[in-house]
Amino acid sequence: MTVHNIRHGDASDGALSEAVGGRLSRVDGPAKITGAAKYAVEQRLEGLAYAVLVESTIASGKVRAIDTTAAEAAPGVLQVLTPDTIISLRTASDWFGTPPPDKPYCPLARDITFSGQHVAAVVAETFEQAVAAAALVKVSYDETPSIVDLSDAKAGDGIPIDAMTKEWGDAQAAFASAPVRICAAYNTPREYQAPMEPHGLIARWEDDQLTVWEPSQWLDGMARTYAEWFGVPFENVRLVSPYIGGGFGSKALALSHGAVAACAARMLGRPVRLVMTRPQTFTGYGGRAATRQTVAIGADANGKIQSIVHRGVNETSIDGMWVEPLGSVTSIMYATPTFSSKQNVVRVNSVVPGAMRAPGENPSAFGIESAIDELAYEVGIDPLEIRLRNYAEQDPHAKKAWSTRQLREAFATGAERFGWFRRTPEPRSMRDGNQLIGWGVAAGTYPVRRAYGEAIVRILADGSVEVESSSIDMGQGTYTILAQTAAETVGVRADDVVVKLGDSRFPRAGVTGGSRLAGVMTGAVYKAATSALDQLVGLAISDPRSPFHALQANTLVVANGRIGSPRGDGPDVSIAELLKSVGRDHIEATGDTMPANSTSDDRYKNYTTIAMALPHTEGDYSRHSWCAHFIEVRVDEDFGTVRVSRVVSALDSGRLYNPKLAESQWKGGIIMGIGQALLEEGIMDRRHGRIVNNNLADYLVPTNADIPDIEVISVGIPDLHSSVLGGKGVGELAIVGVAPAIANAVFHATGKRIRDLPITLEKLI
Amino acid sequence: MTKIHVQLDINGDHHELQLEPRVTLLDALRDRLGLTGTKKGCDHGQCGACTVHVDGERVLACLTLAAQVEGRTVTTIEGLAREGEMHPVQAAFLEQDAFQCGYCTPGQIMSAVACIREGHAGSDEEIREYMAGNLCRCGAYPHIVAAVRQAALEVQS
Repeated sequence: MTVHNIRHGDASDGALSEAVGGRLSRVDGPAKITGAAKYAVEQRLEGLAYAVLVESTIASGKVRAIDTTAAEAAPGVLQVLTPDTIISLRTASDWFGTPPPDKPYCPLARDITFSGQHVAAVVAETFEQAVAAAALVKVSYDETPSIVDLSDAKAGDGIPIDAMTKEWGDAQAAFASAPVRICAAYNTPREYQAPMEPHGLIARWEDDQLTVWEPSQWLDGMARTYAEWFGVPFENVRLVSPYIGGGFGSKALALSHGAVAACAARMLGRPVRLVMTRPQTFTGYGGRAATRQTVAIGADANGKIQSIVHRGVNETSIDGMWVEPLGSVTSIMYATPTFSSKQNVVRVNSVVPGAMRAPGENPSAFGIESAIDELAYEVGIDPLEIRLRNYAEQDPHAKKAWSTRQLREAFATGAERFGWFRRTPEPRSMRDGNQLIGWGVAAGTYPVRRAYGEAIVRILADGSVEVESSSIDMGQGTYTILAQTAAETVGVRADDVVVKLGDSRFPRAGVTGGSRLAGVMTGAVYKAATSALDQLVGLAISDPRSPFHALQANTLVVANGRIGSPRGDGPDVSIAELLKSVGRDHIEATGDTMPANSTSDDRYKNYTTIAMALPHTEGDYSRHSWCAHFIEVRVDEDFGTVRVSRVVSALDSGRLYNPKLAESQWKGGIIMGIGQALLEEGIMDRRHGRIVNNNLADYLVPTNADIPDIEVISVGIPDLHSSVLGGKGVGELAIVGVAPAIANAVFHATGKRIRDLPITLEKLI
Repeated sequence: MTKIHVQLDINGDHHELQLEPRVTLLDALRDRLGLTGTKKGCDHGQCGACTVHVDGERVLACLTLAAQVEGRTVTTIEGLAREGEMHPVQAAFLEQDAFQCGYCTPGQIMSAVACIREGHAGSDEEIREYMAGNLCRCGAYPHIVAAVRQAALEVQS
């Protein structure tokens, strides 16, 4: 029975702020602005002990010995863990769910493959005592030469990753015979997510039940890892993560520091808190891998592309594998009759790199969106015009229609708002005193990653609605958009909806990554809420005690928490009154978007691995979000300092569930992109293979004073091929294309093409 | 390490603690008093997440020992609202969506209140400069500027 219709209008169809599409303020906002929001490690537990990690000071070699005598004798110390004393764990499966090798796992290392690897941990009664004692642990090493980074002579060419190869036509031959050819190398450095909340956790064992309070982008995936490490049933592990102080990809997986804390708690029989220091967050998990690309474009004299040849390399660790897909944007942004992209991965002595906002798409776009700008100058065409001239009318790689692609609209709208047509094309042709002014454009894209979700929706005795899901809110606005979805679907005010997230006891959810959560969870909540509403209306119509029983209606309308007939005749009662009249204290519905015949194994796999994610090119369509960035920079002619002075971005994320929050996420992505373009770079000490700027004073992220006003414009339309309610991805899209737009603007300002990020002053003077 | 007796005045409440002298104000607030609204982002005075007011001035709680603020008045994010009424800066942060993950937010708000009080909220440029010590990795800066501008007008009128 379907008793209502949800609007699938345009992106701004939320006339009411409380409905889907409305500009409702964050429902979790009051807790966050008053300090009442308790983040994971802020729980107060009886008997809590404090752990501090000790890390390797060499990048390659073996631990010869660890002298814990002084640390063990220090005041308040409860335990010093080393590879010899920590309990043995089992190796866990990876995030694809690949069965692990049957061998033990030790989260403290004897064999050192990077500087900053955890080698010991100290647990004490207070944090201060643990910090002091950790400094007394003496580790000696047998050091071997390390491979510092991609530029190390020992690094080599690396391992070809065949799965990354994309080819059609004879791109090499077409390039060789093209009338216009450009070819250049583009590099991006190691970058770090640097969420404001450092990684950490509290672990507590009660018999064989483990509770972990830990900031998490994936409670069920992390619970699986903890369960496999300790050899306990999945159901015995509870992850709790009510608020997350930023993740940007870095908080999706259970990591070795979590294993250390959980081991310590088990061995000690007390809850243990372990929080990384800020410097430890630079080596305790991986940031964005450093990348190298060459992009060769062959074109005719009018700038029409005939060939793209792309080669990429990213770094990974000595014993882990991370592939940053560098051909992802290269292969779909422009129409080309021939194409070739290949990628190698090079092992260096680093922690295994990880996901950071738009992994793959971000560096990929820096290559192709810089290269197309170079081509524009080579053939003397406006950089915006050359993009339109090579517009891909369908996915050039998958050879499928786009589900929706409002990129032409993004170019037009952004150019209009920015005033692009006042731009003079010659480099160094626009200035204001000693400031050279440059205007740059670049496009961005991110695939629509889809998966299945589930949720519980309850209509309670007082007429309020409760939503439960083990998904999370790290600032994207999950609490808010799920409240809007449930409110609109059931027919209550958003104020009357309570959304509970971040507890693995709730209905399960897959990873919050790849910009998929909003689409997945609004779909699941819509389904559960529809089912709860059906039950409510069914009761109202059929229960003999209901005031509507005599009405002989086949449907009823629920709005603003009240039930009435569609024509307005007959009774008009509140949900609370109806439930009371039929003797029910609540209505509950579970909704999921899994295929109908799914087994419990399918569900487990869906929520604890990424193996069941749907390809963005599944079926007849290729699904992506799109954007165009127009950026003005001002470059001091004498000092080479670059300031971003104006940004206009037009973005197609499909239908927006809450434009106010989506705009915030877009601006956040653009700001992280400004940091990437101008500031962010992990700097290695080449003697010790160690990152030297491992703190927030030396690893520069944008400050308020670095950021101008930013205008974002939604040009999306609902895309029902992408999600149940018509949205596409928001969170990662906006960073893609920012760095090349800035590099292109810097070229326009100065005549210097910077192909190595970040664009620092010494590269310009 | 010998503990010392420390008396603290936090948000108008009197607290007596036995603390090692090396305990920072930040860890005293978070670990001893359960006032976890003040956040630890770097523990080195680099990020501003731990900003509180000591005698009305903004101070980094991670670079301040608890013993240093004895006899002084400390205000944290939990003490900003008066009788359940949100401070105009808090209300403006909500209205302008000046935060996402919320972790830097208490520090941003405490800085913003002081920034306005110092008379450094006269223009967007000035707000950006005087709020530059509080990092926000979610990138809420333009909305933080809008919220401070809005709150400054309310506070001053």
